[in-house]
Amino acid sequence: MLAHVDDSMALHWSFDYNHGSQKPDFALELTQLLQGYLENFADVGKDYRKHCYQILPNFWRGYVRQNNPERTSHIGNVVVERQKQNGDSWIYNVHYENTTNGEDIRLHFRCRDDVYRGLIESWDVVVNNNGIDQYSGLKLEGHFSNGSEIRLRYNDVEITAATLTDPVPITCNWALFDVIPNISEQIKGAKQCETIAFLDDLEQFRPKNTVGYLESIESPILLDGYYLHGKGVLPSYWWVDANGNVAIVSSVFETLVLRETEG
Amino acid sequence: MSDRPNILFINTDQHSWDAISAYGNPYLHTPHIDLLHLNGTSFSKSYCSDPVCAAARSSWVTGLYTSETGVPFNGGQLHANIPDIGQVLRASGYNVFHCGKWHVPGRDVRESFDTLYYGSHNIGAGGAAYFDSASTHAVADFLTNYEGNEPFYLQIGYIDPHDVCEYLHNHEEKRIPNPIEQGVLTEDELPPLPENFLYDERETVLHRVCKRIDNQLIHEKIKKAVRNWDELHWRYLRWSYYRFIEKVDAEIGRALSLLKQTSFCDRTLIIFSADHGEACGSHQLFQKFDLYEESVRVPFIVSCLGDGVDVGKGCMNEKHFVSGVDFFPTVCDYADIEIPDRCQGMSVRPIVEGKDTEWREYVYIESNYWGRAVITDDYKYVTEYKPKAVEDFVPPGPDSEQLGLVQLFNKHDDPWEKRNLAVEPEYQEVISSCRDKLLRIESRLNRQEIKQNGPRNVIYNWGKRLREYWEYQRK
Repeated sequence: MLAHVDDSMALHWSFDYNHGSQKPDFALELTQLLQGYLENFADVGKDYRKHCYQILPNFWRGYVRQNNPERTSHIGNVVVERQKQNGDSWIYNVHYENTTNGEDIRLHFRCRDDVYRGLIESWDVVVNNNGIDQYSGLKLEGHFSNGSEIRLRYNDVEITAATLTDPVPITCNWALFDVIPNISEQIKGAKQCETIAFLDDLEQFRPKNTVGYLESIESPILLDGYYLHGKGVLPSYWWVDANGNVAIVSSVFETLVLRETEG
Repeated sequence: MSDRPNILFINTDQHSWDAISAYGNPYLHTPHIDLLHLNGTSFSKSYCSDPVCAAARSSWVTGLYTSETGVPFNGGQLHANIPDIGQVLRASGYNVFHCGKWHVPGRDVRESFDTLYYGSHNIGAGGAAYFDSASTHAVADFLTNYEGNEPFYLQIGYIDPHDVCEYLHNHEEKRIPNPIEQGVLTEDELPPLPENFLYDERETVLHRVCKRIDNQLIHEKIKKAVRNWDELHWRYLRWSYYRFIEKVDAEIGRALSLLKQTSFCDRTLIIFSADHGEACGSHQLFQKFDLYEESVRVPFIVSCLGDGVDVGKGCMNEKHFVSGVDFFPTVCDYADIEIPDRCQGMSVRPIVEGKDTEWREYVYIESNYWGRAVITDDYKYVTEYKPKAVEDFVPPGPDSEQLGLVQLFNKHDDPWEKRNLAVEPEYQEVISSCRDKLLRIESRLNRQEIKQNGPRNVIYNWGKRLREYWEYQRK
């Protein structure tokens, strides 16, 4: 159930941007998105899942909004879609669009069907940018090499993105929408942190990140909060609802709010 | 292909000198900036020309001090008659490219450079979380496709760790628990408070009006918020600042990895620097706009990942004072372009090549239009010009009659700038000597009247507040 939220109601500090820089009202918009998700609730399936998020701005005043006749504050969208394949892996297709930097990123990758969603085989990223300058887009491909390196190919130039020293599963940041719910009960129950490694946007290797339980809240809906941080990674806060869906993710610059699921 | 090298200028924003792991900071890891240091010459006495973005950048691109450029603060406008580095290099046959943050108001970067990426809407002061990765994409696209016959100059303006400003703004209108309350970190994971967290309150009037008093001129709302911080909050600010630096280091790493795979890497000179630093809790300050070391001392590395450009490798130069005004003449020197007479900076190329050269004995810094500093091997002298009774909009100086309060620090005994010696009678001779240096360098400057209404309004309004404070002090 969605708790009643009005303009004067404080949200949790990790996603409370209900102040001067956000017009129209951030809290109202956030709760309306969650309301839409709940009203059209679709339980995510065992073999197919799709989560659609709206990107809301945090404090900064430099956001750019386009094609927005409703004058909402949103600055982009993320769709995380995955399909189970052959009973042992998940194919992910992620579409991230950001009106501020003009990036439209489509990521395609495959993960093991396990708790940590370890990346396997190869992956690719197609970026388009709507800016007026020379750069209009980029394609990159990546793969593991001999189990000890992450290799990335930009156009025809290949680089080593990381040399791996620990035999830990490496996931993608966009698979954390499954990993964090997967490990949530264990973290919350045992009050222990988990260490995870991931490839940010399938490009930047982020080893040794900590995921831990933050706290639970009842407003705007019942949510369990988790934090994630590491070297080169500012804390982000992940809020998982009673259905096991990540409903809100907040970082320094943006707050992703779930507006729709399919399963 | 020309004998002249390609020149890659990588700059970060709000990056203090000591926030690099190769320089001994144990609280962050910057393997890619470290690589530049290992393959180049770092300068330990490197200072910005003015500790705020637009002002410092106006010096980079012109070789002039900010009282000359027309950009003595973020709201200034570069004088139209001053050529910038893009125009000068292009006229000499370089292919000149810009990517990322520019922030030199009054000059259209797209006029002076071919722009790889400057935002879907023009990039302003901040927004690293969105723009830095897009900038790296643009640079990747460029490096993997460049086939020009002429040498290139590419400047990449990364924004981080400037996003620490947004981290601070986030505290303005809500209380964010410290990381121990949150349970996200343990106390031993946090860097300690800086040595100079407690400070000498005998500061210049300009500094107090800008950064200390109620209704201060700069970021009053953040100051109100941090008044409620405990020590853990300040330490968390430092921890967060280092994460922003690690983020931008990773972006630099991808650009360098791609450069290394190109045929032109060997012939590419790389200069790395930052526009200004970050106070990060020193003297209980945040951000910049002050003349303490943390805000004015910045990295300056001249490097090459191959052997095609003669640079000293793995060197830390602790002798020569380098200023932001030296970037322009250094690039001109490597590009085999005559350095314009009016340029205030000096090329560091002879030093990087291990040659003897005549060099300055002190460095000069400006801040907030009226603030000034002179740093010698032994002392740091900070002072201010009192606003004139009626502003004439020509930046102040040299005018000994108009100088205000002084801060003096002993560089050897007090590197953290905790004790202002200016009030002690035995240092009056040192102060006099520093003042002479200040006036000497200022007598060489070509200060032009600021004519636009926007910057004039800033000068008028700030000057009014300063005059009120001076009046209050007299009473």
